[in-house]
Amino acid sequence: MSSLGDYFHTDWEAMTTNDWVGTILTVVIFLLMVVAYVYVLRPKNKDKLEAHKHIPMDDDESIESGDKNGG
Amino acid sequence: MDATAEQKYSFDVVRWFAVMAVVYVVVGALVGVYIASELAWPVLNFDSPYLSFGRLRPLHTNAVIFAFGGSVLMASAFYSVQRTCGVRLWSDKMAWFTFWGWNLIVVAAVITLPLGMTQGKEYAELEWPIDIAIAVVWLSYMFNFVMTIATRKSSHIYVSNWFFLGMMLMITYLHVVNSLAVPVSLTDSYSLFSGVQDAMIQWWWGHNAVGFYLTAGFLGIMYYFVPKQANRPVYSYRLSVIHFWALMFGYVWLGAHHLQYTALPDWTGSLGAAVSLAMIIPSWGGAVNGMMTLSGAWDKLRTDYVLRFLIMSLAFYAMSTFEGPVMSIKTVNALSHYTDWTVGHVHSGALGWVAMVGMGAIYHMIERTFHTKMYSTKMVNLHFWTATIGAVIYIVAMWVSGIMQGLMWRAYDEYGTLAYTFAESVEAMHPYYAMRAVGGIVFLLGAVIMLVNVLMTVRKSVSEGSLQQARTAAASA
Repeated sequence: MSSLGDYFHTDWEAMTTNDWVGTILTVVIFLLMVVAYVYVLRPKNKDKLEAHKHIPMDDDESIESGDKNGG
Repeated sequence: MDATAEQKYSFDVVRWFAVMAVVYVVVGALVGVYIASELAWPVLNFDSPYLSFGRLRPLHTNAVIFAFGGSVLMASAFYSVQRTCGVRLWSDKMAWFTFWGWNLIVVAAVITLPLGMTQGKEYAELEWPIDIAIAVVWLSYMFNFVMTIATRKSSHIYVSNWFFLGMMLMITYLHVVNSLAVPVSLTDSYSLFSGVQDAMIQWWWGHNAVGFYLTAGFLGIMYYFVPKQANRPVYSYRLSVIHFWALMFGYVWLGAHHLQYTALPDWTGSLGAAVSLAMIIPSWGGAVNGMMTLSGAWDKLRTDYVLRFLIMSLAFYAMSTFEGPVMSIKTVNALSHYTDWTVGHVHSGALGWVAMVGMGAIYHMIERTFHTKMYSTKMVNLHFWTATIGAVIYIVAMWVSGIMQGLMWRAYDEYGTLAYTFAESVEAMHPYYAMRAVGGIVFLLGAVIMLVNVLMTVRKSVSEGSLQQARTAAASA
C-alpha cells in the first residue's frame, strides 16, 4: 500500500446493487445516530432525559444486603 | 411490601430461572475445569471419545453461555421488565413455556454434544432440530417481553429494557441466519454458506453472540441491578442512551476482526478493527456510568457484598473492552491470534464481567423473590473473593502462556529457520495450563458456595414461611 489515497481508493464503476444498498443504509443509520447524539447531548433536553433515571427507584422495596442485615 | 410485590408481579418463573442459573454455572464451570485439566494432564481423556476435549469443550461453552447465561438473562429480563413497567408479565403460561423449552434445549445439548453430534460452528454447535427449537423458545421469550412492555403503566421505557430488546432482536436475526443449513438427516446438516462467506457469517454470529447476548443483555442487567442494589439512580441517563445506540450501531461490524490474515479481503478485517477501536468509547462510557452510580456512596462497597460483584464486573468489563480492540489491530493480532491470549481475553469477559454481573443480579433477585435475606452473607463475601481470585489466576496464566506461544511460534534464527518446534511450544505451556486449571478450580469453588447458599436461602424461606406468607397475604389482599 503506497499511500492512504491508494488504500481508500474505490472503484465506483464496480459497485453492485448490493454494495449500494449496504452503503446507503449504513450512511443513513450513521446519520440517524448523529441526530440521536445531538438530541441526547443538547442541554435543553437534559432534565427531560435525566428524569427517567428514577424509574427503577420508584417501585416497592424493603430488603437490603450487607453485614448490617446479619447473616 | 413483599406481599404487594408478590401480588403485583409474576415471580414464580423468575425464581426457577434464577435457581437453575446457579445449578448451570456449577455444571458449566465443572466441565470447564475438567477440560482445562485435560490440557494440562492429557491422561484425563481416558481414551474415551465422550470425554475428549473436542466433545466436552462445546458442552462447556454451551453450558456457561446458553444454560447459565440464558437463565440469568431470562430471570433478570422477566424480573426487571415487570418492575420498571409496573405490570405483571404479559403471559405466565408463555413464560413457563420459555422456561421448560430452554431447559429441554440444555438437556438436548448435554446428550448430543458428548455423542459428537455437531455442526462444527463455534458457539452454534447444536444440530438443526435443536436450532429450530432455540428459535421458537427465544421468540416466546421476546414476544412475552415485548407484550409486557406494550402493556406498561409508565410512559417511558427504561434503558435496561432497551438493552434487553436490542439483544433479543439481534440474537434472533443472527441465530436464524447463521443456522441456515441443508439437513441431510436428523443429526446432520450442511451450512448454506461455504468458504470465506461461511467464515464471515460464522464470525458475524460469533462476535455478536459476545456483543449482543453477553454484552447488551448483561448491560440491561447492569442498568437495572446496579442502581437498585446501590439504591441510587444511574449516574447519567443521557450517557446510557448514547451507550445503547453506539453499541447497537457498532457491534455488528466487529466480526471480521476474527479473520485477520485469512482469505477475507484485507479491508474487511481493517474495518472490523477500526470499529472495534471506536467501540472503546461507548464501552468505557457505560462502565464509568455504572461505577459512578456509586459516586458519593462508595462506602456501600464495604458492607454490601452483592454490590461488590456488580461493581467488580464493571472493572472487568472496562478491561476486556479495551483489550479486545487492541487485539483486533492487525499488528497485535499477528502475535495474539490462535494463541491462549484469546482464551484469556474471552475469560476476562466471561468470568469477570458476565458471570460476576449475573451472579450479583441473582443474589439480588433471590432475596427479593424468596422474600428473605441470604442464608449467609459471609458465604456471599467468600464467593466474591474466590470468583475474583479464580478469574485473575486464570487470566494471568493465559496472558503469559499466550504471549509466550505467539513469540515462540514466530521466532526464527539467522538462517530463517523456526527457532522452536510446535511440540516445544506445547511443552512450554504446561505450567500455565496447570495454573489455569487451578484458577478454574478456585472459581468453581465459589460457584459451589453460591449454590449451597442459594439452596439454603430457599430452604430458609420455606422454613420461615416468608414466601408462603407473601403469597397468602397477596391472595387475601
